[in-house]
Amino acid sequence: MRRRVLYCGALLGLLYVIYGVLQVYNGVVSWWFGSDKLMQLGVKVFETHVPNTFPDPFSGLTLITIGLLFLAALYHSMRGFTRYKGYLFAAWLLAVTVLVLNVVEICASFLDAYYPLLYGGTPNFEWSLAVDAWGIAPHLLLGVLALPLYFDLKDFIRELIPGL
Amino acid sequence: MMIRVALAGNPNVGKSVIFNNLTGSHQRVGNWPGKTVEKKEGVFRYDNEEIYVVDLPGTYSLTAHSIEELIARGYIVEERPDVVVVVVDASNIERNLYLVLQVLELGAKTVVALNKMDLAEVSSLYLDARKLERLLGVPVIPTVAPKKVGMDELCRKILEVARTKRQVVKVRYGNEFEEAIGKIERQLEGDKALEAYSTRWLAIKLLEGDEAVIKKVQRAASGGKVLREVEEIRKALKRKHGDLEMALINERYRVIKYIVERAVKGEKVLTASDYLDQALLDRYLGMPIFISILWIIFQFTFIVSMPFSDILSDIFAISSERLAGITGIARVDYLLFGEYGVLNGVGMVLSFVPLIMTLYFTMSLLEDFGYIARAAFLMDKVMRKLGLTGRSIIPMILGFGCNIAGVYSTRIIPVEEDRIVAIVTNPLMLCSARLVTFVVIAAAFWGSAAGSVVLSLYILGIALAVLVALVLKRSVFKGRVSPFIMELPPYQIPSLKVATTQMWVRASLFFKKAGTVILLGLLVVGLLATTDVSTLSFTQDIERSLVATIGHALQPIFAPLNWDWRLVVATVFGFIAKEIVIGASAMLYGVSEEEFSNFLALHYDPVTMYAYMVFVLVYVPCVATIAAVKHETLSWRWAVFTIIYEIVLAYALSLVILLIGRTFFPGV
Repeated sequence: MRRRVLYCGALLGLLYVIYGVLQVYNGVVSWWFGSDKLMQLGVKVFETHVPNTFPDPFSGLTLITIGLLFLAALYHSMRGFTRYKGYLFAAWLLAVTVLVLNVVEICASFLDAYYPLLYGGTPNFEWSLAVDAWGIAPHLLLGVLALPLYFDLKDFIRELIPGL
Repeated sequence: MMIRVALAGNPNVGKSVIFNNLTGSHQRVGNWPGKTVEKKEGVFRYDNEEIYVVDLPGTYSLTAHSIEELIARGYIVEERPDVVVVVVDASNIERNLYLVLQVLELGAKTVVALNKMDLAEVSSLYLDARKLERLLGVPVIPTVAPKKVGMDELCRKILEVARTKRQVVKVRYGNEFEEAIGKIERQLEGDKALEAYSTRWLAIKLLEGDEAVIKKVQRAASGGKVLREVEEIRKALKRKHGDLEMALINERYRVIKYIVERAVKGEKVLTASDYLDQALLDRYLGMPIFISILWIIFQFTFIVSMPFSDILSDIFAISSERLAGITGIARVDYLLFGEYGVLNGVGMVLSFVPLIMTLYFTMSLLEDFGYIARAAFLMDKVMRKLGLTGRSIIPMILGFGCNIAGVYSTRIIPVEEDRIVAIVTNPLMLCSARLVTFVVIAAAFWGSAAGSVVLSLYILGIALAVLVALVLKRSVFKGRVSPFIMELPPYQIPSLKVATTQMWVRASLFFKKAGTVILLGLLVVGLLATTDVSTLSFTQDIERSLVATIGHALQPIFAPLNWDWRLVVATVFGFIAKEIVIGASAMLYGVSEEEFSNFLALHYDPVTMYAYMVFVLVYVPCVATIAAVKHETLSWRWAVFTIIYEIVLAYALSLVILLIGRTFFPGV
């Protein structure tokens, strides 16, 4: 596997770990200490941050785990072990899964807000990407950045999904 | 005279195909005496000799921890067949050789059928059968059973070995162990009661502390003396090697490694599954990955089901409005369609059908993908370190769906003590019935992070089950742990058809339950809520109802937990079925599903509600689960024990959470 892939993976790994730690921190201060002073690392757009690191320790743990898998791939590759392929593959699979989760969440929230319109009612609440905590979360942005790794992992993926 | 042959081997090595190839249509299928394990036997002729073949149950070892192992070992030891044919999967030689070594320890005359040679070649593994034969000291015949390759050679070797007096087996363990085995063998020699057994096997088993063999030796004339000597030897070895059973397992694998290094050329080509396993079963990252995958599943379940639950909730609210007054009898109308009515409660429960369906859909996808087996493997490592059996993982995972299924599935645990421990701790698993309650509360207080809060309850349930199991294993059920060997199937793309079927099956079961137990339970709550306590006539004033009287009487017990009487009654009725907790709450507070979340957020704080969820997670299991506990333990004693310990634990834990919450997180 080309070095470029591993370095990209390592950069992604660092970003996942950073945003994961931020989510854990925000979760702890918000859930357990009732504080609304959250730490954000991103661009402020309207009333939200892009990406929005909403408070959730388990979500943070998931991001950290994905990040560590990317970093473990780099570590094993530098030591000359072929097992780095498995770590990179696992990291990519999880990254894509949480990306899909983020997209599903956006669709579900949209549906939840506006389904009463189907029978002539009023929306349950006003929804926009800016007010949805999951709107543009690190899961979505980092997942999109991880997508191109598909081209380097397609042999593995095709082994699991023949005919893809 | 007829030659008797026993076919032994790991599960899925092609043993049955070889059995069919040998015996053709001359076979009989029955059960092993007194057991429900299938016994296959058949007869065939070769070179003018009549050969009887018995197919032993597939086992990974002969350590006598499971019924299959006991049968296989018992047959070889007691029935002493002329030849034991050990069928070995050549594409997975290391694991299979373990059983070969154990058969050789028994002193049985052995032939190894090196099956699946074609698959080994596909995996770039080249096995030198002649070298393997020299290293083991017994004939090794390469075979490809489905193509009947090697069958003639196998029959020829069976006859040859059956005609020899004894084999010279070359497997030897480390010097210290060989010395100990030699000493014990000398003690055993000459005892007429033990003459029928291989002294080397008896010595190894005594070193391992095998209870069945110890009993056997105890009955012999020299038993007492031998066992005293064995104890001395064990003590000396234990000081250096710790657990001797584990030390001998390591010795066998050391020998296997030596053999494989010499007889196998090439390196097995790793598949995508193998690579993925290296990461997903990583020593340090395996558990965080497991927790992350659980989080993804629950988050996905809540997210996808949320709009559909809301739609269903709206439908029930509209139905209640439209049906009001339809019967013309005020009391019945109020009981069924009023704000404290049964339809409100049943609707509340049924609005979570999408949640149950999505949960089973995602769990089925995960199982089909092959990850559930990995999860069991990861948990087994933790459990074994704590001295618990890894086999209880499967009932625990099934308990996430329904505790009743979890309790019944403990039958896979062969050791009775381990099974009872798994049974009485299974109700601590967060089942789908309790999930319904938790989703409402978590959504009310933690919004988009509801999935994480519920995940924390799943983890708490597992931790408590392990803790209670540990206490029981260290106090009531002291003893050793039965080992757990499992096959990890290759990962595959999950089948949407299977997942959808599973989802519908579960949904129909949920509907059935809602239409019977839950409806009846809520009807009782509704009747009590509309019956005046003094006149026993119809009332719309819930504070003057029978249910309020019951609630007020019980409320002081739960006052330290900060509950009002309505929450007390709803929780008590959850004893019938856990879904009733949320249905009865909606009825007693007189609010619909959507209003219920707001109502809770206004009247309670997150710490009280988290402590409440912990109470509901832990307290007394539902009636059907208690019946299952009684049925599977064959005793009311354990059913009563389960009820009592869970109530005490639930109360204590909730109180502790409240105290900690109030002391350390006053801002919440």
